[in-house]
Amino acid sequence: MSTKQLSRRNFLRLAAASSTGAVVGYLGPLSNIASAQDTVELTFGRHWEAAFRPRQAEYDEGFMERHPDIKISITYNTWADHNNVVPAWAAAGTLPDVIYVHGSRATPWAHEGIIIDIHDIVVADEEFNVDGMWEESVRLYRVNGRIHALPYDHGPIILGYNKDLFDAAGMDYPSEDWTMEDMAAAAIELTDPNAGIWGWDGRLDLGNGGGGFFTGAWGGTTMNADESAMTVDTPEIRAALNHWYNLTHVENAGASGTEMEAFPNSQPFRAGVAAMGHIATWSTPSMRALANFEWDVAPTPMGADGSRYTGAFGSGYGITPTSDKPDTAWTYLREYLSLEGMIFMWSLSGRGSPARPEGLEAWLTSDPAPPSGRYFLEAMFDYAVTGPPFQSLAAAQVSNILSREADLLRLGETSVDEAIATITEEGNAALDSVADM
Amino acid sequence: MFRRLMRPISPSAKREERIFYLFILPWLIGLVLFNVGPVFGMLGLSFTDWRISLDNLQFVGLENYRTLFADPIFRISVGNTLYIVVGRVVFGTSFALLLAILLNQKVPGIPFFRAVYYLPTVTAGVAVALVWIWIFNPRLGILNYTLKQLGIQGPPWIFSKDWVKPSLILMSMFSVGPNMIILLAGLQGVPKELYESAEIDGAGNWAKFRNVTLPMLSPVLFFVIIISVVSSFQNFTEIRVMTEGGPGESSNVMIWYLWENAFIFLQLGVAAAVAWIMFVILMALTGIQFRLGRRWVYYEGEAR
Repeated sequence: MSTKQLSRRNFLRLAAASSTGAVVGYLGPLSNIASAQDTVELTFGRHWEAAFRPRQAEYDEGFMERHPDIKISITYNTWADHNNVVPAWAAAGTLPDVIYVHGSRATPWAHEGIIIDIHDIVVADEEFNVDGMWEESVRLYRVNGRIHALPYDHGPIILGYNKDLFDAAGMDYPSEDWTMEDMAAAAIELTDPNAGIWGWDGRLDLGNGGGGFFTGAWGGTTMNADESAMTVDTPEIRAALNHWYNLTHVENAGASGTEMEAFPNSQPFRAGVAAMGHIATWSTPSMRALANFEWDVAPTPMGADGSRYTGAFGSGYGITPTSDKPDTAWTYLREYLSLEGMIFMWSLSGRGSPARPEGLEAWLTSDPAPPSGRYFLEAMFDYAVTGPPFQSLAAAQVSNILSREADLLRLGETSVDEAIATITEEGNAALDSVADM
Repeated sequence: MFRRLMRPISPSAKREERIFYLFILPWLIGLVLFNVGPVFGMLGLSFTDWRISLDNLQFVGLENYRTLFADPIFRISVGNTLYIVVGRVVFGTSFALLLAILLNQKVPGIPFFRAVYYLPTVTAGVAVALVWIWIFNPRLGILNYTLKQLGIQGPPWIFSKDWVKPSLILMSMFSVGPNMIILLAGLQGVPKELYESAEIDGAGNWAKFRNVTLPMLSPVLFFVIIISVVSSFQNFTEIRVMTEGGPGESSNVMIWYLWENAFIFLQLGVAAAVAWIMFVILMALTGIQFRLGRRWVYYEGEAR
């Protein structure tokens, strides 16, 4: 066995190498500090799906070229998890500078101090045209009259239809003067159990954007204007829900909740087995990508009295209280949410209808926009209303109750009367519990 | 007695003791910081109006507990939890024991079957839950397809208020791999002489199982039951991925109720109270099991 002693020369070599390493190791962080002083890192919490991230990266690269002193760093959550991750971040004091805020979360998050009041910053910025945004979209983010976040998209829910199924049945496409009764009659006619085709996709949403599609045609709303009480126990809502229930469970012209589960994302309309369904601007990209049939959109059918109504909803961005650079965050948001920013991110990509009316014409030229996409614009201008709940601190509880009862109705596991009674009782209890907050 | 306890310890024993504490110190620190500390921290927070920020917490006494006991959905969630725990423990343990006995036979291919039954355990819980959503699909699922071939109209499974809990229990029976392995190890530790003696006494298979296997396996069974009760209370993935507490509130279990309050409704004080109620229930159930265990658990080396 050979042994090797450390010679003095080798010892000195080793010592020199160690010293150099130590010096480099010491100077390394210093050089990082020097470069960190030159640039400011702006952190984001977003939830885009993988397919949309390159668009975001392209925008951010352009922004960083315009602002070489700002470095963008993004944490992507999934859509399903974002609203749960953000409160956890907040509780841990690790919120990023800027976060995605779904319209339904603005009020509770503002109340809990997850997003800051940016009213003065927005109003003081004369170049940022907040008045150029839909008031319906900004309304989501006004808490006690003050802006706490700003919208990037806002869209209405209107009628979508499968042209192939209408053509196969030899029926005319939905027209502008259709009423809910016309839609139901067409749905019944289009239903073919032997071919596994439904006339209507059976969806029933009672909260936020989807809430107005059925209930509004009868003149009903699920909550009163200030969201202090549930208003489902009315003849209007009862008539609307009975209409839906009859169409789905009596005429079997709509897929029941159990039947829907056989299709990806529980969407028989997108799967091509339901002739009609309701559709929002933010869902047109997935329709374009996944629907292997010709489809288009029509106005939301009118109520019996000729009035037209539907729900609209959207999302936005807010700045967090843990950010030590709200001015830098605003530098980003004022560009991102400008007309040019929205056209680049939303209109031209077709990912969603921008919160600025001026950006909608460009959205119509995008690939996901359907041939009659202009009906979305008409809805926004003429009859779409941002759907409750979003102003109450109990919005999440009320949304849960509405969606649970809608699920039970779809599954045929509750009756319209039972659902109305439960929503009224539990919804009002939830609203009362936050009345003093 | 006192003198015996205070007897002088030799220097080597002292050194060994110091080394012992040194080695368990990392675990001890982890236990205090990440287990015991949060448990008692949570108890304190359950008496506050904690929502998100820990600043300006208000002491609200028992208000969160009063809110919980007045909430019918919380009571439903307790009932659902007990239903699912009992179902999972009774059927899951029985199935694990049955599998362990089958896999303890000396027949060809046993290692393959042991691996097959253990496989769901090493698969990600979310992936397993997603697969089960399709297995349970009333129209396209393999379960109802198979039943249809047998001339039986399958139920709506997780899409029905009546069937969702039995469905979740049924599903849990396919994740009994760890319990099966523990019971299998227990079975292999039963001395063969005892079976031979029983056979000489004329015992049949059932008598051998009842009078030899079960008593000898009782400490292992006891451990499996304790662990199963705890894990059934904490089971969250399936509810999150498959049912979200529905339809209605029919699969709303305590852990889901806790999560909703914490991360959807931002009522973290209430969620902390739920966590503590769960903790107390679990401690009580474990205590009851230990007390009952004295009657049926047989420890071979125990001085009686």
